[in-house]
Amino acid sequence: MLSIVGLSKRHPGALRPLFSELRFAIGTGEVVALVGESGVGKSTLLNCIAGLELADAGEIRVGPDALDMLRLDETARAALRATRIGFVFQAFHVLPTLTVAQNIAIPLLLSGVTPAEHPARIESLLLRVGLAGFGPRWPATLSGGELQRVAIARALVHRPALILADEPTGNLDPRTADEVLTVLLERVRDQHAGALIVTHSQHVAQCCDRILTLTPDGLE
Amino acid sequence: MRRRSFLLAPLLLPGLAAAKAVTPYASARRGTQLVFPRDHGGHAEFRTEWWYVTGALDLPERDIGFQLTFFRIRSGSAETLDSPFAPTQILFAHAAVTLPGGRLLHAERAARVNLGAAFSATDCDVHIGAWRMQRTGADEHIRLRALDPGFAFDLHLTPTQPLLLQGENGWSQKGARPELASHYVSWPQLRVEGQLTLDKTHRAANGSAWFDHEWSSEVLGEAGVGWDWVGINLDDGGALMAFRIRDTSGATVYAHASLRDAAGQVTRFGPQEVGFTPLRHWQSPRNGARYPVHMEIRVGPHTLRTTPAIDDQEIITRRPLPVSYWEGLVRLDGALRGRGYLELTGYSGRMAL
Amino acid sequence: MTTLAWWLIRAQFLSRRTATALSMLAIALGVSLGYAIHLINDAALADFSRAMKSVQGEPDAIIVPRDSAGHVPLALIDEIAGDESVALVAPVIETRVRLGRVPTAVKLIGIDVFSAALLMPTLLPREGAATSGGIFDGGLYASPSLLDDQGLRVGAGATVIRGESRWETHIAGDLPAMAAGEALLVADIAWVQAHFGPREGVGELRVRLMPGSHAEAWRAVWAKRLPPGLDIRAAADNAARISNISRAYRVNLNVLAMVALLTGAFLVFATQLTAVAQRSTQFALLGVLGLPPRMRLLQVLFEGLAIGLPGSALGLLLGYGMAVGFTRVMGGDLGGGFFAASTPTIAPELLPGLGFFILGCGASLMGALYPAWLNRIQPLAQALKTGFAQRPPGQASPAIHGRRLMLLAVAAAIPLLISLPAIDDLPLAGYAAIALVLVLGIAAAPVATNLAFGAMARAALPAPLRIAVQNVLQAPLMAQVAASGLIVSFALTVSMVTMVASFRTALDQWLDAVLPAPHYMRSKGLPLPAELLAAIERPDAPFARIERMATGSLSLDPRRPPAALLVREIDRADPGARLPFTGAVQAAPEGRITVWVSEALQEVHGLRTGQALHLPLLGRDVEVHIGGVWRDYARQFGAVVMSTGDYRALGGRFEVTDLALWPRPGSEDAARRWLATEAARHGIESAESGDIRRISLSIFDKSFAVTYALEAAAMLIGLFGLAVTLAASVWLRARELATLSALGFDRAMLARAVVFEGALIALVGLALGLAAGIAVGAILTHVVNPQAFHWRMPLHVPWNQVLPIALATLAAGMLASRFAARQATRLPAAQVLAGAQ
Repeated sequence: MLSIVGLSKRHPGALRPLFSELRFAIGTGEVVALVGESGVGKSTLLNCIAGLELADAGEIRVGPDALDMLRLDETARAALRATRIGFVFQAFHVLPTLTVAQNIAIPLLLSGVTPAEHPARIESLLLRVGLAGFGPRWPATLSGGELQRVAIARALVHRPALILADEPTGNLDPRTADEVLTVLLERVRDQHAGALIVTHSQHVAQCCDRILTLTPDGLE
Repeated sequence: MRRRSFLLAPLLLPGLAAAKAVTPYASARRGTQLVFPRDHGGHAEFRTEWWYVTGALDLPERDIGFQLTFFRIRSGSAETLDSPFAPTQILFAHAAVTLPGGRLLHAERAARVNLGAAFSATDCDVHIGAWRMQRTGADEHIRLRALDPGFAFDLHLTPTQPLLLQGENGWSQKGARPELASHYVSWPQLRVEGQLTLDKTHRAANGSAWFDHEWSSEVLGEAGVGWDWVGINLDDGGALMAFRIRDTSGATVYAHASLRDAAGQVTRFGPQEVGFTPLRHWQSPRNGARYPVHMEIRVGPHTLRTTPAIDDQEIITRRPLPVSYWEGLVRLDGALRGRGYLELTGYSGRMAL
Repeated sequence: MTTLAWWLIRAQFLSRRTATALSMLAIALGVSLGYAIHLINDAALADFSRAMKSVQGEPDAIIVPRDSAGHVPLALIDEIAGDESVALVAPVIETRVRLGRVPTAVKLIGIDVFSAALLMPTLLPREGAATSGGIFDGGLYASPSLLDDQGLRVGAGATVIRGESRWETHIAGDLPAMAAGEALLVADIAWVQAHFGPREGVGELRVRLMPGSHAEAWRAVWAKRLPPGLDIRAAADNAARISNISRAYRVNLNVLAMVALLTGAFLVFATQLTAVAQRSTQFALLGVLGLPPRMRLLQVLFEGLAIGLPGSALGLLLGYGMAVGFTRVMGGDLGGGFFAASTPTIAPELLPGLGFFILGCGASLMGALYPAWLNRIQPLAQALKTGFAQRPPGQASPAIHGRRLMLLAVAAAIPLLISLPAIDDLPLAGYAAIALVLVLGIAAAPVATNLAFGAMARAALPAPLRIAVQNVLQAPLMAQVAASGLIVSFALTVSMVTMVASFRTALDQWLDAVLPAPHYMRSKGLPLPAELLAAIERPDAPFARIERMATGSLSLDPRRPPAALLVREIDRADPGARLPFTGAVQAAPEGRITVWVSEALQEVHGLRTGQALHLPLLGRDVEVHIGGVWRDYARQFGAVVMSTGDYRALGGRFEVTDLALWPRPGSEDAARRWLATEAARHGIESAESGDIRRISLSIFDKSFAVTYALEAAAMLIGLFGLAVTLAASVWLRARELATLSALGFDRAMLARAVVFEGALIALVGLALGLAAGIAVGAILTHVVNPQAFHWRMPLHVPWNQVLPIALATLAAGMLASRFAARQATRLPAAQVLAGAQ
């Protein structure tokens, strides 16, 4: 689902590269945790994989037919994100001016899924993240855990090959965090996607299939 | 005689009826000695006057008829008004060309004297804008000019014979009452040379024409509704003029004719000796009027027939109200032969006088 | 994708109802003003041309005398009628008369029925109507409206009066083809001529050419052959002249409408900029989720268009409504005085409507352009974390030198532009200079804020104020947006107020100079009755001094409306006693006809004092000497003053139309009574100089009413823009304010900081706006007005109006920022700091 070869990135003006010659892959249904100290470049790595930042060298291939993210232009990268990648953020980022169902529908709209399919897909995902009947509700009426479940539904609704999650439980209390994490892992495996979860939480990392640790010297 | 002016006058000049009673119109007096060229000019003191040229042109194709007429009317209005263009004298003009193949082109103009129109009181010279009939004294030429988008002509008329004074030395009786009379001068057998313009193409033209000049103050009696008139240049050099005035039933109220033979001998025929009998009618598709375009005319011992160059020579004038009559080129056959104009009026409904 | 776009637009409108509605309204206002002005003028113009056509017909050429005392001679009529290309000549005498004692003057047209029947059939009397005496017998025919208005009866006697001439006649009938509302009389041309002249000719000759003739070539040939006192024109010239004379005024109004539209665009800009800033995280999220970058640009433009489309549509409706309402209440005149008598029917027009619709949409798109671009270039990952970036990455410090150079270039272009002459009588360069001044004002905003706030930052200030100053210095974009809105709107307001005040002051002083006598009498262009003139001379009349004047007109250029000719009892040696000269007066040389020309005439024809001038007078070409140039705000198309002595020397008839009267000392009341009686008796106007002055000023105020409305609109829009941007800038700093609050600043201190910031921004905006406004006012008074209307006046800045407006704006700005501060500080600090939205 994700394969990275020889990835290097140096911030402009920085003396030494943030990371260099990174190489790893995530398989179907595999959930990988990415841990490391603050400032080591976890977020930058995630941004590079999402095509939000450009790495200096290397290859990033997402999905079955493996397009190289680094060789795509901005619009193509956005299209790749829209069809192959799902995102879960620490701050949820559920749009307050759209309903729950509309929020979940965004990736369907962006990836060009025929509108006729939307209601069924949204309903089934809401059911699977435990929010059956939440579709017409406004985000302001939801709790943090519920918001993150909406975000998970949104990340999966267009059946991406890869889920990128950045501290998905960081803003939740431990019990809710557990619930949300469980939902996330189950659904990723359901859909045979791969997932890369950036986290500081040992607990979260333990729940994943594999743990990658990013250090200034590379991946461990 | 041309009576269009009588048709037009009451329609044009709503105030005329009232004004007529007080206007000191001169009347045509028996025994008046006409003096030329003075009497070729206008006679402003009379109520109506016209200078009238009809003729036939010989172009390669066939007979082409033309006419140019100027009418003068003393309106009886504004007689004492101190203005150079007081509407006391009004001029009208008609120009027409009859074309073989059935087309009649017609145009008209109207203006008051001193606003783009004028007439001379000393010789024949009358114009409305560029339309003009002018006699030039030296060689007694008469020049005709008329132009319209559809046609134009510029013709010189040269006399070949002396003037023909109609009636008694130019005093022409029009009815039983002596007041019903006019001064009437004709000039037949004029040689025509000049130019005719049709569809912007100029063509040299020559032929023969007939000039009439008539002035009067009262001609038509109460009974008359219309008239028939012919003026023919005979092939042998003679000239024939005949008219009758009809009443409502179509019966003749008054009639007269004169014939000048090639030698210059004039014979005059009284009411009993002149007769008009319709042979064939042509019905106007425009107003349904039936005109006797084919006429048998009896003048003394002569029986004559007119044949129109084309049937449709009806003229409808719209200035300012519609008046319809028939006036066109005819051939004369029978005892005398020639070409000239036949006029038929009062056939499209009753004339309001 | 469109579904998403639509969701976002709806969400945006729902969450920012007021701002969106106001932006829409602003666009609607601009569009409606433009459209209404267009509709009213067009309708008035069409009305005028229709009336003109029905009275004039559609001749191929019109031959007219160049001065009101001239005529078309009879010989010329005959000559032209005899031209082979001419199908018809229609002579006409048009004059103004009074019917009996009815005070209003009526147009009397003398026609020749034979030519009128073909060229001007609408002027023909009803056929067969006359019972006694038709048109040739001097019957008078009145239009149905006139019959109704004056209660005339067909068959009744009528006295037609003009000056010394009286004509006793009767109403013979009506004019059935005359449109309703048209008040005129028709009679035979000879009867009109015999009673009212001209002596040896007619007033005007209309010519219809033969079909297929080349009218222009024909006119060109005859133009060379005409005697010096005559002009030849095309019929369309008259309508074109009317269109031309009102054009400068219309363009001026349309420029104002465009200014309203521009402020609307600015409001869209402010709204969309804050919308983009507020939703930067949302847009970043959508970008991360895969929204194509192009769509981030387009979405903001769509939103702009979503304001523009309904705003423009509403504007068209409003504009139509305004036009209909306005013409119902006020008639077809927008205050320019060109269509004062018309009551046109407004018809919606598709193409111009479409044009204004597109303009409205264009304005809102323009306003959305920069915000859209900013949105497009937001770095996604960063925006998702930290929110809106005011500057694109890598552009941390804009080339300040480049900006200064640009400012200098703009500043240098302004004097160049204002020195350019009018183009086709329109002060286009002047308008361009105004636009540049505004651009300069806006572009100077960052420099000014940096200067002002930099200076403040160095000063020792209480903590909250220091925070405010720091804020503006760090994040200048919002401050600049807020300030530039104020700069534009305040500049426009100040400039309008300045222009109007300058004009009004100048008009006031001018009225003093031109109304020396306490009493005036006139008869609206008609000669005064001989009886009255005799009565006024009698020893028992209570007047110490009387000055008479006759008015006429003369045409120096057939493409322009005629100038007024004022023949006055004026002292040739001291014309300055009666005329407000703008410069030196040259003594009238003995034996030479001397005239004093008005400023408008001087400007249009480039005249100088002391030069010789050829004037069409009494049908001749007369060389006169220009003795001086005087100021005239009354006659936009110029005026020439000549002494009665000179006019009589030329052989002119002095037909008095106006009187200036000085009562004998002590008999002021008697004079007043005397005048009231005589005015009523003869049906003429009598007024005291005070009344004339008051009426003139009220007409002036009325004609600038539209301007005031536009000013108010501009000011409101500017204030609202300030409020919106201030609120947004505070909102954007909510986190910062929450941090400060967590650090121990209480709410009142924070609010004070925000209000102080608002006040500082407003001050900068007002200061720049004032400077730009005075500059624009100066351009309006010294460039636009003289070029468009030939009115010159000294600049007068009405501080008593400008300062209160400035103070009110400042107060409103502070109020707006207080409101913004309340909104921002009301959020619980903890929530804000937690980073939740």
